Parts: sequence; structure tokens; C-alpha cells
Amino acid sequence: MALSREIYQAFEAVVGARNISEDIGICESYRAIPCQTSDHRGPFKQKTPLPQAVILPGSTKEVQGIVRLCNKYGIQFKASTTFWSVMGYIGSDYSVQLDMRRMRRIEIDPKNMYAVVEPYAIGAVVQAEAMKYGLNINIPGVGCSSSVAASTAGWVGFGPQTIFMGAATENMLAAEWVLPDGEVLRTGSLGAGSGWFCGDGPGPSTRAILRAKQGTAGSMGICTRVAVRLHPWPGPAYIPSRGMAPAYKANLPDNFKAYTLCFPSWDAYAEGLNLLHQAEILYLGHRQFTMFGRDIKTAMIKILNDPDGQLSDLEGYVNDPELKKANEDMKIDIQVIIAGMTPRDTEYKEKALDRVLEMVGGWKSEFMMDPEIKDWVLMYLLRMGHKNLNYVMCGGYEGNFGLSGNVFVSSSVMEEASALKKKWEDEHDYIAQVGGDSDMGSITIMGGGGSTGWEFFTHFDSYEKESVEGTAEFFNATQEWMNQKKLGLDMGKWNQSARRPDGYYFSQEEQDEMFSKLAQPLVAYYQYRVREAFNPNNLCGSYYRTLSKV
Amino acid sequence: MEKIQDALTRIVGAENVCGDPKVLSEYSQDKSFAPGLPPRCAVRVHNAGEVGAVVKWANETRTPLVSVSSQAPHYKGDTAPGVPEAVIVDLSGMKKILSINRKYRMAVIEPGVTYGELLKALAGEGLTLSVPLATRAGKSVVASVLETEPRLNALHQWCDLDPLRCVEVTWGDGNRMFTGEAGGSVMDLEQQWKEDKWQWEPAGPMMLDFYRLLTGAQGTMGIVTWASVRCEIMPQAHKAYIVPARKLEDLVDFAYNVLRLRFSDEFFIMNNTQMAYLMADKAGEVDGLKEQLPPWMAVVGIAGREILPEERVAAQEADISEIAQNCGLKMPEAVGGISAEAVLRKAARPGGDASWKEIYKGAFQDIFFSTTLDQTPKFIQAMGSLSSQEGYPVCDVGVYLQPENMGASYHCSFTLPYRADCASETGKTRELFVKASMMFSRMGAYYFRPYGIWSRLQLNKDAQGYQVLQRLKGIFDPNGIMNPGKLCNY
Repeated sequence: MALSREIYQAFEAVVGARNISEDIGICESYRAIPCQTSDHRGPFKQKTPLPQAVILPGSTKEVQGIVRLCNKYGIQFKASTTFWSVMGYIGSDYSVQLDMRRMRRIEIDPKNMYAVVEPYAIGAVVQAEAMKYGLNINIPGVGCSSSVAASTAGWVGFGPQTIFMGAATENMLAAEWVLPDGEVLRTGSLGAGSGWFCGDGPGPSTRAILRAKQGTAGSMGICTRVAVRLHPWPGPAYIPSRGMAPAYKANLPDNFKAYTLCFPSWDAYAEGLNLLHQAEILYLGHRQFTMFGRDIKTAMIKILNDPDGQLSDLEGYVNDPELKKANEDMKIDIQVIIAGMTPRDTEYKEKALDRVLEMVGGWKSEFMMDPEIKDWVLMYLLRMGHKNLNYVMCGGYEGNFGLSGNVFVSSSVMEEASALKKKWEDEHDYIAQVGGDSDMGSITIMGGGGSTGWEFFTHFDSYEKESVEGTAEFFNATQEWMNQKKLGLDMGKWNQSARRPDGYYFSQEEQDEMFSKLAQPLVAYYQYRVREAFNPNNLCGSYYRTLSKV
Repeated sequence: MEKIQDALTRIVGAENVCGDPKVLSEYSQDKSFAPGLPPRCAVRVHNAGEVGAVVKWANETRTPLVSVSSQAPHYKGDTAPGVPEAVIVDLSGMKKILSINRKYRMAVIEPGVTYGELLKALAGEGLTLSVPLATRAGKSVVASVLETEPRLNALHQWCDLDPLRCVEVTWGDGNRMFTGEAGGSVMDLEQQWKEDKWQWEPAGPMMLDFYRLLTGAQGTMGIVTWASVRCEIMPQAHKAYIVPARKLEDLVDFAYNVLRLRFSDEFFIMNNTQMAYLMADKAGEVDGLKEQLPPWMAVVGIAGREILPEERVAAQEADISEIAQNCGLKMPEAVGGISAEAVLRKAARPGGDASWKEIYKGAFQDIFFSTTLDQTPKFIQAMGSLSSQEGYPVCDVGVYLQPENMGASYHCSFTLPYRADCASETGKTRELFVKASMMFSRMGAYYFRPYGIWSRLQLNKDAQGYQVLQRLKGIFDPNGIMNPGKLCNY
């Protein structure tokens, strides 16, 4: 059903003719293949539906105008910013897609250490602006080319620096939000006209409906501005670099230290990470480079540090005895960065790190202490600008397993999970053969430590049907293993309850069928009640998981 | 009355239902200026099952319920019934510490557990908890974290609601559930612990942030029957300092610079009046102490925990001292005859049954709100002018500034002592309280925890936010039985 002229013109009156299009070529580019989204279905079955129009609002008022029209005419809508994955796309035929790229302003309060950002302000730009004031921002795993507002207000938002900076849910201060019914909610101190410094209260927090452990992925209206807490950056006003693309290295002062910590066993690893949570010495902690695979990570690091490096160099490097030895040395590892606020602070943190290693029998990888590699790691992890490398192996990747947030639980099954993956790598050719263990993730998903966040990167060819479908089979097998271990939902299936395999949203009946089986179904039932209260016309899709009755 | 008592007796037993007017009068009014009404009766509950049954009965009979966890006296008006015929649900008998886990630094506690009880138990496991300033001995930890009372260590607050994590709640509609990580698994703590799940993650468990509906709610959404709190490793080395200053502005820069670098553990600012109230053992000592003390002080605690504790303290001591020097300040361990260690000891431990703020004149009224540190001087100056104008002695106004949420905001608190047995002094203080509250509201104060008259001042500023709250209240407490009359009766 195409939009009537009356409706199209009504939208056009809100944003202007330049900022709306129903051109089939443009609309087609706002469709996604539902894989690589924690919902591995493969591109050969279906794409997300074609939007009726793509609209680019430029202000909160325009967003409100669009949402009001959607309510008036019963049109579903979804706003997205940097379109990282399928969750940003519409899921029904009679829908419009909002692309927020015109809204990208940033305001920084350096004294009180927060930034107010519009949806299209990306991590790289906010970070660059913040560094001018000696501040930094938590850039989650999605990388610096993605929207800060999307991860802060709309999705999960933990990453390498969460150990020092907290996760998105913790960094979110006040927000301005167009609710699905078109009303504008300003949370916390902002609603009171007191500024952006607090996102909670007064009394119970209205923020409760906007995001929790995860955001609503655009299914509870549209965040138009959000204040994000910033954190100290004890470095220069920008990250000075050297080298050639893509192997840029950071020229940072000596108070920045990058290490790869290695452990003799998974037990020691778990104990070491727990001690690091308690020690309050890390600026960053992430198991990053095992994402390439246990057997080839040092080879990949060599290639990526060489501006002329090619994947065709891989075989030679993999067979290099020195690199093999380094791989073995780094079998159970994690990358960390210390950023001393003063020389004394640097010295203390260095000593404390050594003490932790001593307590658990760990060591620092010599290979990773090569100055060139160390500076590449600093650039990689502090900037989080290498997200393209997730795809470099085969063109596609998907996280799976997920395991448990409790590092003592996850590490106890790490070898078994790795062995299962290795078996599939060896027996099938549709996922990359990287040595089983490709587990990567954050040392914590919450400020100061606690739960951790892991996933195994499974590399596949997203343009080859057999590879995509074979990967899905592999995920079925890992889910079965997860079930046997009582480890919950495999990350490769994490979003299967949000969107159907054909790319469309679930109906309420389908959601009822799924969520009545929750251990505590009241969770989804109250979400249904909240959706009914604030989104009475149900215009934002099924990422807001609901159960209509208990 | 008979029928009500019979019904409640069936749920909790006769010995736990109280209709004695003398006892009930203690619930009817607290020590704040907020009005209260006598309850119909009070029931002492001992488990979530009893709470659920009482809430179910209250829905059937449309009876208002007011939950109370802390021991008397109370000071903020939130536990005094705002409507007639209310039943007090007294949770102070729920005193189990359900779990303490050293490895994960978590504790799970029932609402009757006080700070004194919890800190003692935690110490046995090598743990502690960041606490509000010199909290009362009988203060419920669960009530305190639900009220989002500011903590001495803002740098361990990763959001405004830390250290609260998960809870078990019976909503106003009678439904019981777990929140946060605990809400994503089977509703059985023992089973969750067997699966090595320790109620760590507070948010969700999905996209609705249930626990945020309970914090600051003054018992208007539901009744919490356990909560998990994030604990800290007990310091093995701990030093304290006082940074004196002639004017607040000097400490503002100091505070920004220290917290920006994530230095210090405990950190707060007080004027000499507030410090004298905190440190005096009896009223007669207050004026003398005040005289000896500098006008303003920042109290800085530095802790070293498991890893190289002495080295951490030494490094931060030197660095913070340098920051003080750069601000033209010094950082001694004692000032005006009081040692920083003694201040910290008093600040970080539960005190007596009554608040230490009563020591000077027998009664007090606080005014507090959230703001940013750079805004605090204007509020303090305005309070001085208004006090003077209203004939309240400016030198009696205690000021306490506590960073919250890693220093993103500050709890700005004014203490106004008065003699409750003097009608004119009481009246004058009450008038100053009302006028100051209104003045601060106009100046942009954020009543984050809107008790009493502040709820109207605050909620009236944001019609849309208030409507959202009303709709949420309608979902979780459809019959409006949970502490009606509070938060503008939303």
C-alpha cells in the first residue's frame, strides 16, 4: 500500500521536499538482510520490507510532527542512525523509515563532564570533541563510526572501556524523547528545566520505559537528544598517529600502556579478571584479537600492522614458528590498557597489574609488547575504529555462544565450546577454520566490573548461500550445546524473538506464544501494558517484547 | 475495625497486628514538617508471601498501605500516612541477610536489615558498603538504597541508583516478580545461586527498567522484600584528610580536579556549622567547634584494598595534595582540633537511633536537592540571604555537598536546627523551609528525591513527565493503594 498523496504531502510539509523520498531506488537501499544481527537467518531467504518513504527529520519538532502523522494515519515507523544492523530497519509493509542523519549536533559541558548529542553524532566525532577537553567517551563494541545516541539510548552499549567508564545504561543522563504517541518526554533534571546532569527521578524514573539492560531498538519512540557522561582522558587533545592506512599507530605519552595479559589456565584467567575488576586500575579491558581465531591471531596482527599486508600472506605467517609460539603464549589472553592520570598513578597501576599477574601466575605477551604492535593496539582499542576488520576474513561474521556473564562460569566451558566450534570448522567448509576459540568480548559489561560479555566470532561468506545456511546449522548445534549446559540463549539467536525469519515483525499472537514460556512471564506482560499505554496504535514493532496476558 | 483486624490476623497472626492507638500514633507523624494521619492499624510482615496476601486484601478492600522498613524516628514524611484509614506494613522484622558473596562482592538482604547489621556481617567476609553520611543505626539498607540516599563514595556509583542492583517486589496490583538479572531466571534465589547467578545486573531484565520504577517512589509502586546490593572490598589501608578553605569557591575547583581524575574514595564538602553538628557529642560543644573550624572543608578519604593497598594510598595522597596546592589549599590530617580520621569514622559508620542533626537544638529540618557543583555557590548565597531576611540565624545553617554518580551531580543539603518546644522558632523554621524550598525550585534546583512539599514544586514543572508517571502508576498500582497522598497523589 503506497502512501496516498495526502499523507506524503503531510510528511513533506513537516520536513520539506528535500528531506523525504519515495523513490524506489532510495527506499530499496533502506532494506537489510537479517543476518549479522544476533539473528542469523541468511540473506537468501528475505530482506526487511520496503519502506513507503524515507524521511530525514532535522529537529525534535519535525520528529514529533512525523510521529503524530504516523498516529493519525496508522503508519508504522522506525528511526535509525548509522544502520549498523537489521534492528534499525522497519518490519512491516505500511511503514516509513526515519533516517536521523540531519540531527548530529554535539554540546559538551567540560566541567560537569557530559556531552549532549543528537542521534547522528557518531562515536568518533564525539570522542574527538571530548578529547579537546581532556575527556573521553565509552565507545561500545559497535565501534566509533556508529551513533552514540543509538548505543546509549537504543541498544546495549558496553565495550572495551566499560571497566573504567561504565556501560551505556550507566552513562545515560537526561534524555529528550518523542514517545510513540507523539508526546515529548524529557527525563530527570531536564524535565524540570534544571539541565542535563541527571536522567533519573524525580521520584520513580520515567526513564524506565525507554531503556533497561538493552534499549528498545526504536520500538518505544525516538530519542532526539541524550546527555552522555564523559570520562577523563589523560592524553593529548587528539590521538597523534603515525604510519599508513590501515596500520595507523598511536603516538601517545608513556602514561598509556597496552598489554596482552596471558594466563596459564582458564581458572587463572577468571581469577585474574575478577582481581582486575576489583583493582580499579584498568582504562580498558577487552579480549579483542582472538576474534580472528586462536590459531591465526598473531598472523592477522602481523598482516594488519603492515600497510601492504594481504590476506594472501596468511598462510606464510601461520606457519611461522615464532608466530606459532606467540599464539601458544597468548592462548588464554586479554588486551588491557592502563592510562595513568599522573606519573604516580601510572606507576601504581603498573605495579598493581604486575601484582595481579603474580597472584594468578600470568604474564605479559612479549610479542604484543613490540612498540609498533603496542601502538597499533592503542589506536585500535582506544579509537574502536577498526570495525571493518570484523568482516575482513570472509565478508561476514556473527557472534555466537555468548556463554555466561559470570566469567567463572564462562571460562569453565571455554575449551569445550572451542572444541565444538573447531569440530565444525574441521568437518565443514562453510565457516572459517581459525582454531576453534574465537571468543572475544569485554572484561565487563558494567562499570567497575562484574558481569562480562563474550561472543565467539564465526566468520562466514555472507554472499554464499551454503556458507550462510551452514552457519545457521552450526548455531543450531551450539544452541543445543548451550541448552545442555543450561547456559541460556545462544547469541546467534538472541534477536530471534524480535523479528520473523522473513524480516517482518511478530504478531502479538506469535509473541504471546514465545513469551508465555519465560521463567518470569510478568516481565513481558508489564512490557505489554507499558506499550499499550505509550504506544496505543502499536506503531513501532516487536523489538519491544510483549505478552498480552498471564 | 474488627473485620480488618480479623482479615489481617488470618494473614500474619494476631501477634503481628497492632491496633493500639499509642503505638499507631508513632506511625502517624514523623519529625519532618510533613503532615501525617493516624493509620487504622499496623501489621508486621515476615516474608513475601505475607506481603502478597496483605496487598491482595488491600486491593479487594481498597485499603491504603504504607510500607515502613526503617526503625523510628523518621524524618522525611514519606512513611507517615497521607490519607486516613491506612494500614502500615511494617517490614522491619524481615531481618535476614540472605547471602553475602565475597567473590562477586554482592549481598542480598531483606528490608529490615539495618546498616549496622549489614556492615558487621560484611566485615566478617572482608567486605563493606559505601554508606550515606552518618546514617542512623536503625536505618534500613533497602529503604536507603530505594530512596537513593547519596553515598560517601561517588566514584563507586556508576549510576544514580548504585549500589542497588536487583529486587523482589510485590507491585500494587499484587503481582510478585524479581527485577534485573534476577528477573531473567527462575523466581527462586536458591536456584539462581546454584546456577552461579548472584543478582548482579540491575537493569531490565529486558527493555523495561523495573527497578527504576521503585527507586524514589516512596513506596507508591510496590513493596520490596529483598534487594541485592553491590559491596566493596574492605580497605586494608585507609587515610583521611581535611582540606580547609575560606570560601566554597576554592573547594569547588579542588573537587572538580580530584574527582575528574578518579582520585579519592570518600569525598564530601561541609561548612563549619555542619561539621560541628556532625562531630559534637553534645549541644554545648557545637559553638566551640564551629569557632575552631575553618568556614569550609572538603573531607577526603583514600582507601587501598586488596592489591598494594599502601601504595595506592601513598600515590593518591601525594597527587591529591598536589591538586590542593595548585588550588592554593593544604591537605592536613586534622584541622581545628578534629582529625580527618575521626570525621571519616563518624561519617562512614551508623550512629545512634536518632539523627546527629538533632544534637544542637533537638530538632531539625533538611532541604536537599541535586544540582551541579558549579551551581552550588549561588544556592548557598541565596540561602544565607533568605535566612537573614527571615530572621533565622545564618550561622546555624549547616551545608553539606556530596558528589553523586561519579560527580555528575551533587546532593546539596541545608540543615536547619530548631527547638521543637519553642513554637515561634518552630514556626519561623517552617516558614523558612517553605520559602527556601520554593526559592530553590525557582532557581533551578532539582528535587531528585521529592519528599513532602517538594513533590508539588518539582512535578508541576513537567506536565508530560507527570502524566507518564500517572500512566505507570495506573499499570502497577491500578487501585492506588500504595502510599496514596505522596508524590502529588499521582
